[in-house]
Amino acid sequence: MRSVIPVILIALIPLASAQRPTAAPASTGISAGISAGISAHKALTTQYCFGCHNKKTKTAGLAFDALDYTNVGADAAAWEKVLRKLRTGEMPPPGLPRPKVPAAESFATTLEGALDKAAEANPNPGRPAVHRLNRAEYSNAIRDLLALDIKSGSSLPVDDSGYGFDNIADVLSLSPALLERYMSTARLVAALAIGDMKMKPSEEQFTPLRDPPSNFRRPAAIERASEDLPFNSRGGMSFEHYFPVDAEYVIRIRATGNAQNAPPPIFEHRIPVKAGLRTVGVTFLRESARAEQEAPVIRGAAPDTTATPRSQPLPAEMDLRIDGAKIKRFQVPQRAGARTDVANIIIGGPYNATGRGETPSRGKIFVCRPAIAKDEEPCAKTILSTLTRRAFRRSVSETDIRPLMAFYQRGRSEGDFDSGIQKALSAMLMSPDFLFRVEQDPKGAAPGTVYRISDFELASRLSFFLWSSIPDDTLLKLAEQGKLKDPVVLRQQVTRMLADPRSEALTTNFAGQWLHLRNLATSKPDPQLFSTFDESLRKSFQQETEMFFTSILRENRSVLDLLGANYTFLNERLAEHYGVPKIYGSHFRKVAINDPNRGGLLGQGSILTVTSYPNRTSVVQRGKWILENLLGTPPPPPPPDIPELKAHAEDGKVLTMRQQLEQHRANPTCASCHSRMDPIGFSLENYDAIGKWRDKDGDSEIDTSGKLPDGKTFSGPAGLKQLLLASYRDDFVATVSEKLLTYATGRGLEAYDLPSVRAIIKKAAAEDYRLSALITAVVESKPFQMRRTPGS
Amino acid sequence: MIITRKSLPRRAFLRGLGTTLALPLLDSMVPALAKGGTKPVVRLGFVYHATGMIMDRWTPATVGTGFEITPTMKALEPFRDQMIVFSGLAQVNGRALGDGPGDHARGGATFLTGVHPKKTEGAGIRCGISADQIAAKELGKHTQLASLEIGLESQSLAGGCDSGYSCAYTNTLSWRSATSPMPLEINPRRLFERLFGDGDSTDPAARLSRLQEQRSILDYVAGSIDRLETNLGPRDRYKLTEYLEAIRDIERRIQKAEQQNASLKLPVVEKPGSVPEAFEDHAKLMMDLQILAFQTDLTRVITYVPAREGSNRSYREIGVSDGHHSITHHQNDAEKIENVAKIDALLVKNFAYLLERLKATPDGEGNLLDHSIIVYGSGTGDGNRHTHHDLPVALVGGGAGQIKGGRHLRFPTETPLNNLLLNVLDKAGVPVDNFGDSTGRLSDV
Repeated sequence: MRSVIPVILIALIPLASAQRPTAAPASTGISAGISAGISAHKALTTQYCFGCHNKKTKTAGLAFDALDYTNVGADAAAWEKVLRKLRTGEMPPPGLPRPKVPAAESFATTLEGALDKAAEANPNPGRPAVHRLNRAEYSNAIRDLLALDIKSGSSLPVDDSGYGFDNIADVLSLSPALLERYMSTARLVAALAIGDMKMKPSEEQFTPLRDPPSNFRRPAAIERASEDLPFNSRGGMSFEHYFPVDAEYVIRIRATGNAQNAPPPIFEHRIPVKAGLRTVGVTFLRESARAEQEAPVIRGAAPDTTATPRSQPLPAEMDLRIDGAKIKRFQVPQRAGARTDVANIIIGGPYNATGRGETPSRGKIFVCRPAIAKDEEPCAKTILSTLTRRAFRRSVSETDIRPLMAFYQRGRSEGDFDSGIQKALSAMLMSPDFLFRVEQDPKGAAPGTVYRISDFELASRLSFFLWSSIPDDTLLKLAEQGKLKDPVVLRQQVTRMLADPRSEALTTNFAGQWLHLRNLATSKPDPQLFSTFDESLRKSFQQETEMFFTSILRENRSVLDLLGANYTFLNERLAEHYGVPKIYGSHFRKVAINDPNRGGLLGQGSILTVTSYPNRTSVVQRGKWILENLLGTPPPPPPPDIPELKAHAEDGKVLTMRQQLEQHRANPTCASCHSRMDPIGFSLENYDAIGKWRDKDGDSEIDTSGKLPDGKTFSGPAGLKQLLLASYRDDFVATVSEKLLTYATGRGLEAYDLPSVRAIIKKAAAEDYRLSALITAVVESKPFQMRRTPGS
Repeated sequence: MIITRKSLPRRAFLRGLGTTLALPLLDSMVPALAKGGTKPVVRLGFVYHATGMIMDRWTPATVGTGFEITPTMKALEPFRDQMIVFSGLAQVNGRALGDGPGDHARGGATFLTGVHPKKTEGAGIRCGISADQIAAKELGKHTQLASLEIGLESQSLAGGCDSGYSCAYTNTLSWRSATSPMPLEINPRRLFERLFGDGDSTDPAARLSRLQEQRSILDYVAGSIDRLETNLGPRDRYKLTEYLEAIRDIERRIQKAEQQNASLKLPVVEKPGSVPEAFEDHAKLMMDLQILAFQTDLTRVITYVPAREGSNRSYREIGVSDGHHSITHHQNDAEKIENVAKIDALLVKNFAYLLERLKATPDGEGNLLDHSIIVYGSGTGDGNRHTHHDLPVALVGGGAGQIKGGRHLRFPTETPLNNLLLNVLDKAGVPVDNFGDSTGRLSDV
């Protein structure tokens, strides 16, 4: 056994490094009293910890003989590490003598209390760096500022991430390439929002998501493609397109090749369209929905058309719709035995513009209209002040508006009033006051001063946390009046903001990254092995989990329901996949789940797919995903040179995955992590790599029983869920809290944040761990409301 | 799903669009400075090979001019006379040095820097200036764009990148300064617009007026930054300084464009659409754009990362369905080694396309390859064991007559790769005394 120890310790080091030692400055005097209880436990640490963690060996950089037992605040980072290892039972390592549970608990409780008191006496709320808006924040800001959806995905690149999120200030850099993107995006946004009459025609192409070629059962061409299309339709596609001005546009539809070796037919229609966001749909009339008289009329000797599949079928009827209204019907020739569909749609324009139109964007921008020439300048000032206040997220002054007025004047002299506003707008969107979130230290504050951020800064922190966007007028007004910091007002605002549709951003950005949901878009189940997987199922997976997370948020539910809920959201496609009967139609609805295996995140196709390989499930990935994202104890990555799993025994017999991993764990290096990951992963083996239930894996029986290193046994998805909720509830809640605080502050957590995390959990515990309560507690925490000047 | 196309394409030429009609070299496209008489301009390329190689399939047994073409470098055979293969070079700062796991993040981060990156998910990101950026600072004085950083793989969308290293480390090889990484551009359309603008026209006069319009915005922004900065402590300033530096870059570009406007005609090309699905199509399109960038002298420095260090892309098109990274941990399993070697050869073949195109593109008295120095290699040697010594490295191109190719040079083990990078910088006319962990220059290069 002894030889095993060093290996285990090495493997655990990276866990410890999660808290970097950025110790808060020690304040003498008060702290000594706070720490009084710790010295009483010195004997325990000497007996069980000191052997490895002393000044000589310094295993994992920890030496108990270097720690101050009388003043834990001085070594807070090290003591936090000790506390975590004690709480999670990770230390002492398996196989070494452990203190009795009551003794360990008593030590942990005393230590925790002392650390919390030390932090209270000498708080360090940290210091987020200057924060460039990330891609989601930028496009949401444009949406809320100008009522314009810019589909930032195509214009701005993906941001770098850190600590699992892409809103980490330290990581959001700005290269010359990105600056050029911002310039062209700002120009485009201003042109679209104002309705630029001089805009040159361009073409945009839309292509439906195609399923990989396979023998899937229901080709998209025979299904209704979208909720936006009529019931009796099949195939085609539907999408939103922004028509910048009142003008003529050309819509060109390319059908899929329907005659051998013939070029795909193209259908074109030129129509005037009013400016604004419109839904464009192209779809085919279902054959069954056709009128009788359209039946084939064949002259002369009429062969039985139904009996001869080679006969020329009727042309398909393809409808072009804008905002639901039928604009034009095309007759599309079809080849026998194949259903024609839409290959892509190109929208070209604007041509012969007739006016700027009346769009929501213009409504939002033009809060006044100059009737006569001398009104123009004051009105321009009003418009720009209104926009700038919201874009810069603070009160604005003459200094802010003056340079923008210069842009206005230049645009005005070259065109009309609106052109002037357009020019000023495209400059404003490049301002660092818009692109960056800058928090300013109080003038003359001494190094190391802890202070409450301003109400405007608080408004921004709130809106970027809950909406991934700029504050609205209500928040700005409260900030102006200095009322936002009022605890009652703040609570009301959090409640209001969570109820607002914009809080969907917590689902797409927070949950999307925390749960790795965003990876669903790029997962590629092998079409040969999983022929039922298609784009429609992928979309359904995504929607289920998003709606589920949103329901926990909006319906005031406990985060524990994320694991244990007895309901989910299904449409027919997904219900069929899960084996839930009697759900019809493509729309999603809330469905009660009585199967104890299926309810909660761990029974959802999205999570089960992103934790699988393209061709098979991965016990290890699923185990790792749970340890990392639900329990906050990620296993360290495998060392290089790891022994591979062996598919065959020495005698050539084929081994099951369970046998292969058992053999792997016989190696102590591997066992240190796999003994935790594997049993968890195995319990989910009833779900295949796309989350479908199975009783057998190929021909072999599935054994879902497992035992964790601490001796707890469980079996199957339901068993795992029960275990997590019963024995690991605190770890789960702590993990969610830490992820939320990281996301909320846009920085990695440090040891000095952990007392705040514990305070958040305590508050939420009093409210049954409701997600909304956790979020409120995060907002009320010191790291969220305060900041510290640099230096000691 | 959305692509915007130009409505005025007269001549499609980009491979990724399915058409292969090459753009004829119009004399007007050749920048005045590259025309006969003047000294040819040296272009620098740095092309990455992800996650090391099966080294015994790459390294020639023979040293010197008589070296044999090994299976992995088969596709480079046509360029043998303009190629030097290096053995024994290392980036030892890619090793853990007490930082634990994360060899892939470190392999990429050290490749062009020779600096041990600080292990962090975010706070205090730090590496070192990279060779391409040292070159860009100097060579960029002559071109509109100081450098291009190009990749093919999208960023990890969720779940972190490598073992406690922020994705900022894995998303580039290029560092403008120790704290400013230069992320890779993977979208052909965005790259195109970077090169040729997003305007409605590639007409030089229209482009110029667009650029001038931008100048006034940049002045306004710079003013705002100054005002903001006066209220900020030094530790908050660096983010805004980064912004200011980017602005200076664009201003310089505008100036350059004005100077060149008469002499530089941009080609009439169709804007590429979205990212092509097939690896090869995407790769060729991005390489075609690199050729255009060199050809029009929009930049002289390009870093190209077809696959990131530690990438787990699966190359099903050559019958390898396992992820690349997964099988580099082959544990001497013969089949896996075979498959890794196949991927190695595929990546090298891909690189050969860039060389072919360079060679086929006339430039002054010769062709672009004659006047280029392209460094090809990896920050990992043996992917199975995550080693950072004995790296696969080759240098291809004539370097405007400065490179004597057709050789395999072996250096003592753990000779810093940065030493070779110093040689390369010398030949590009950007001599520096040292950088990263360099200890001197390599002899006989």
